[in-house]
Amino acid sequence: MMSCFEAQKPSLCHSDPLTAEKVRATLAVLKGILTSCYGPYGRLKQLHSGTGGSVCTTSQSTVLLRNLPVTHPILKILTASVQNHVSCFSDCGLFTAILCCNLIENVQKTELTAATTIKLNKHLLNFCTSYLRSEGCACRIPVDFSSTQTLLCLVRSILTSKPACMLTRKEVDHISALILRAFLFIIPENTEDPLILGKSIIVPLKGERVIDSALLPGVLLEMSVQLMRMLPVGKSSALKVALFSTSLSGDFSDPGEGNLVVSYGVSLEKAALDQLLDLGRQLVSDHVDLVLCQKVMHPSLKQFLGTHHIMAIDRVGVMLMEPLSKVTGAQPIGSLGPVSPSSYGSVKDWCSAKFGYKHFFHLIPKEATVCSLLLCNRNDTAWDELKLTCETALHALQLTIKEPWVLLGGGCTETHLAAYIRHMIHKEPGSIVQDDECTQAELELIADAFCRALESLAGSLEHDGGEILTDMKHGHFWSVQAGPPSVVNWPDLLSRCGCGVFSNQEGLSWSVLRSTHHPFAPEIHLPHEALGISQQSAHSLTVDCLTAKLSGLKVAVETANLILDLAYVIEDKN
Amino acid sequence: MAVAGSVKTALQVAEVLEAIVSRCVGPEGRQVLCTKPTGEVLLSRDGGRLLQALQLNHPVARIIVACVSSHLKKTGDGAKTFIIFLCHLLRGLRAITEKDSLIPENFQTFERRWKTCCQWKFISQALLTFQTHVLDYIMDQYLSRHFLSIFSSSAKERTLCRSSLELLLDAYFCGRVGRNNHKFISQLMCDYFFKCMTSESGTEVFELVNDCFVELNVSVTGLPVSESKIIDGLVLHRDFSVYCPADGDMRVAIVREIIQPLFSTSGSEFVLNSEAQFQTSQIWIMERTKSIMKHLLSQNVKLLLSSVKQSDLVIYYARLSGISVVDCLSSEEVSFIQRIISFSPFVFPQAYLQCEISNTALVKFCKRLILRSKRYVHLGLISTCKFVPHCIILCGPVQGLVEQHESALYGAFKMLQQLFKDFDLNYVKKVNAQSDTLSPPLYKNSRKSNQLLRICNHPIRKPYQGTGIKNNDELEKTQYLKIHSNLPVSTVELETHISFSAPKMMPTDTVQTDEIWKCLPPENKRVTDDSELIENNSTRNSITENTRIEVSYENFQVTNSAGKGSILPVKYKSLETTCISQSCCSSIPAGCVLPVGGSFEILLHYYLINYAKKCQRLEEIMVSKLIANALLGIPQILYKQKKGYDSFPQVFLRTLPTLQTDQPMINCQAGLESVIGKYHVLTSVLQCLTKILTIDLIISIKRQPSKSCEPDSEDELQY
Repeated sequence: MMSCFEAQKPSLCHSDPLTAEKVRATLAVLKGILTSCYGPYGRLKQLHSGTGGSVCTTSQSTVLLRNLPVTHPILKILTASVQNHVSCFSDCGLFTAILCCNLIENVQKTELTAATTIKLNKHLLNFCTSYLRSEGCACRIPVDFSSTQTLLCLVRSILTSKPACMLTRKEVDHISALILRAFLFIIPENTEDPLILGKSIIVPLKGERVIDSALLPGVLLEMSVQLMRMLPVGKSSALKVALFSTSLSGDFSDPGEGNLVVSYGVSLEKAALDQLLDLGRQLVSDHVDLVLCQKVMHPSLKQFLGTHHIMAIDRVGVMLMEPLSKVTGAQPIGSLGPVSPSSYGSVKDWCSAKFGYKHFFHLIPKEATVCSLLLCNRNDTAWDELKLTCETALHALQLTIKEPWVLLGGGCTETHLAAYIRHMIHKEPGSIVQDDECTQAELELIADAFCRALESLAGSLEHDGGEILTDMKHGHFWSVQAGPPSVVNWPDLLSRCGCGVFSNQEGLSWSVLRSTHHPFAPEIHLPHEALGISQQSAHSLTVDCLTAKLSGLKVAVETANLILDLAYVIEDKN
Repeated sequence: MAVAGSVKTALQVAEVLEAIVSRCVGPEGRQVLCTKPTGEVLLSRDGGRLLQALQLNHPVARIIVACVSSHLKKTGDGAKTFIIFLCHLLRGLRAITEKDSLIPENFQTFERRWKTCCQWKFISQALLTFQTHVLDYIMDQYLSRHFLSIFSSSAKERTLCRSSLELLLDAYFCGRVGRNNHKFISQLMCDYFFKCMTSESGTEVFELVNDCFVELNVSVTGLPVSESKIIDGLVLHRDFSVYCPADGDMRVAIVREIIQPLFSTSGSEFVLNSEAQFQTSQIWIMERTKSIMKHLLSQNVKLLLSSVKQSDLVIYYARLSGISVVDCLSSEEVSFIQRIISFSPFVFPQAYLQCEISNTALVKFCKRLILRSKRYVHLGLISTCKFVPHCIILCGPVQGLVEQHESALYGAFKMLQQLFKDFDLNYVKKVNAQSDTLSPPLYKNSRKSNQLLRICNHPIRKPYQGTGIKNNDELEKTQYLKIHSNLPVSTVELETHISFSAPKMMPTDTVQTDEIWKCLPPENKRVTDDSELIENNSTRNSITENTRIEVSYENFQVTNSAGKGSILPVKYKSLETTCISQSCCSSIPAGCVLPVGGSFEILLHYYLINYAKKCQRLEEIMVSKLIANALLGIPQILYKQKKGYDSFPQVFLRTLPTLQTDQPMINCQAGLESVIGKYHVLTSVLQCLTKILTIDLIISIKRQPSKSCEPDSEDELQY
């Protein structure tokens, strides 16, 4: 055996990595990129490689972090943890990343020891999560499944926060209605205990108008025009379906490890084909109307089935096997032998449909929790962005089943939380830290860093140089458009707070968020009219998925703590 | 190129390593981020991993790293302590030589080097002698009286309290896991331990967990650490190929081969003569597969586990029969399952040759588990061994963190495995040979009685093969009386002592006293009389029992009573006699712990200094002092951050008087650490040091040193 010995290069060991100027600078750059993408008015990023290939326009953390070339280990930890969060919850990636950066930055300025900051950060996090989960929390709204309003608000908030989808207001309405319908479609009617959700398949149709997007029950199989024409016109009643998972091409797959000796004149192909035709004959005699095959079907078999008015579609692919099995109730057949009658399934009807330039074979089920979302957008990159957004929205809706709450969006939760923490630190610090392992001064310093991280996160929603305010009653987020400074007083410019619960009619007083202000007690209970949002116009509320945001908050603080705790970075340069 | 191997270079290397390691040690230690050449990012506070990540080139550093990793392989703990201790030892050595080097100035350089080499050799030999003779002696004679036991042995068998295990694990994870999570991980480990162990579980469970740790945990990234949990049953790292939900009575079967019969097996030939033959054989294969499935179903098998991929045909017939299939399992997973349910290989009936199916076993449940949109098989096996199967689901925002927790948990199991075993020390012979110089003056009191014992022991003694710890309390108690009946100790004092200590006896005592018990058959009668007396007395002890101190302060009470009567502790004397009787090994009993935060080091320092005062041989004095001073380096680093009352000099000064008056150190609120682990670190470091000292020249060569044909047997012997 050849072996090659090469001396291992010793690793590089840096102590206290966060104090290095270079690390701070790279963190600041990353934060800058992420912050500028945040929210409905976020700026888009164009990612392209000098060597060619497609160009991608995005403002989503998933795409951005996947493609950003990050080299420093600390940034790798940060981006990896955000990416992992997004792959679990789909939503709140930028929130997590920016909060984490803010925390690291702010805490470093306090110059306390890592031990103290980490411990206090953890206490503050526990305080936040228990508040957000508590009954009296003023920034969450229960989801009312009997009406679509809250769910629609959630979907719309997610859609509008991704500007790279390039949707007009009308299109947002259309897509959010489709997504909500798709979500309702996959919930099974009989609610037995392990709730098994169905599946919504997103079918791409690029280059068409967004308005042409549609939701169809059952499965869409894309086909060429020629194949479509070849399909015999069947009866228009319930169809008997056979679904094959094994190859019907007549190949001889697994002869075993030994030798196979074939005598002269014996044709295995013929033998295999005979076997396939036998199978075909059985299908005919069993009155099967539709044969679907995951893999390749032998042309002779196809023709044979065709002559007997049986529709045959092959190369369905493994991804569609499970939905097909669900839609038809058929069991995937793995044998070329006699087919057990129990393996057959049925569909209500089929039709051929043409959407845009594509032809589809549409299987219409009797009742099943599978639907196809035909998604259109003008170009590739916008379609990709829209698809990701739709998946995020569907996931967020699913998460509300487990935790039927939504948080107020538009920065209001963050500012309210910050105001609440400041108030509690001022009033009863014992509710945050019980043990006296730290001084009140330390607690105030870290709490201030934590609150400012939240507030500047909310502030990142504003990209056009406007002023950010918070009201002194509820602690919500208000932004003023940048305009001519001659305007007499800006309260006149305010119309609604970030989430849309409050309007500028209630005799509120404001203060600028970036400035220091006295801690005040934010009102703990949401006014009743906010809970009954069904009376309000649906457009006015911005809400976020509670599960995703809470987990994002936890991951952000945990990751920040992790990075703050680093004494050394050892880089293996081999 | 050749470099002189010297303490100076070794110290330089060790100091660099110490600087890195000392910032990660103890509860105040911080994390280190390592990148692998593949770009993966790893978080760690584990000394061993850290040293490996550094990819050191320096030859001395490589010796040190090799020593550390072989130590870790054995114990799974103490890498950082290793480096710090080694560094302090080297520092001490340099201090000694600097003093000496003033004298031989007129030597020529070569001669001087030769001289120093001889000196190093000499020192290294002294170190070895120290390690083999003196260290064990001090451990057993002096240190053991301060040991606490993690077991509360209120009844005959030892039981483990949750709170004492918590103290131990808290302290362990304090040094292993980021301070963010150590409490949580320690709780998780504690829960896991108590869920997996039945009351009679023993060391075999530790072996099982150590062998199959990978199979016992599932890592999930993207969720906060606090989502980690323990679930009942096993989680297989695969999804079902066929999933047929079933409930009620169901059995599982395991296969290691393809069920579907093939045309030909390796080494055979299948001759096809006609198309019809081909078709019939294919039909035969189908029928055979079908009938195997039917056979399985008839045995109520609802789940088929396979280590190989099964064909479409098998999957199809399994689905038709309502049998769930999990294929492509790793062979480790399969053998692990076999270990849990103790499958014996089972030959399938002759008709179904081709595949060998093990016995079937009952399954409690078999579900699909979805973690972060990845599917797993969740299996409730009925364990036939003493291990109750549970799995840990470890969550964390990044893979690096999950891996850190995983390896910390693994290390904790290794540490517990060591802790729960008795460890034999080997100092007995030496005691006899050097009894005059080594034994403290106290020893002389009991000398006469020892002689007596020896006389009566010798003719009757049989080769003793440890009968274990199963002898009962009665024996111990009687034994105590037995010995002391020969001693000039007043009966009143004896009674008070025994009433305190007897119910909380630790296993060592049992072993040792048992030994003597065997040696003294003729006096059986009197012993039983005495034991009754003690039983009466022991009722008085109920107060101490009721306080329910989790850690049994056995020695505390012993020394207390001794302090009052101003005689030596009784237990101590009994040990003395056993040593003299020459027939038994001393040992560190299972479950010995000390309060965390340098107690072991401070205690050993104290006793070594005392020992050195009594020593006569120069090199022994030197080595003892060297080691004693180096030991203090560890607590010094641990208390570096603390100020005022908690600073190291303060703590040290507070501890000394309590030692002098023979009071126990009671500050175990912070946590406990395993004595045996500490002991292993100490011996490993001493071995490493002798290795470094005996090298006089480091020669760099271009090729790998050619290996001799025979494997190095020295390592094997050590095991």
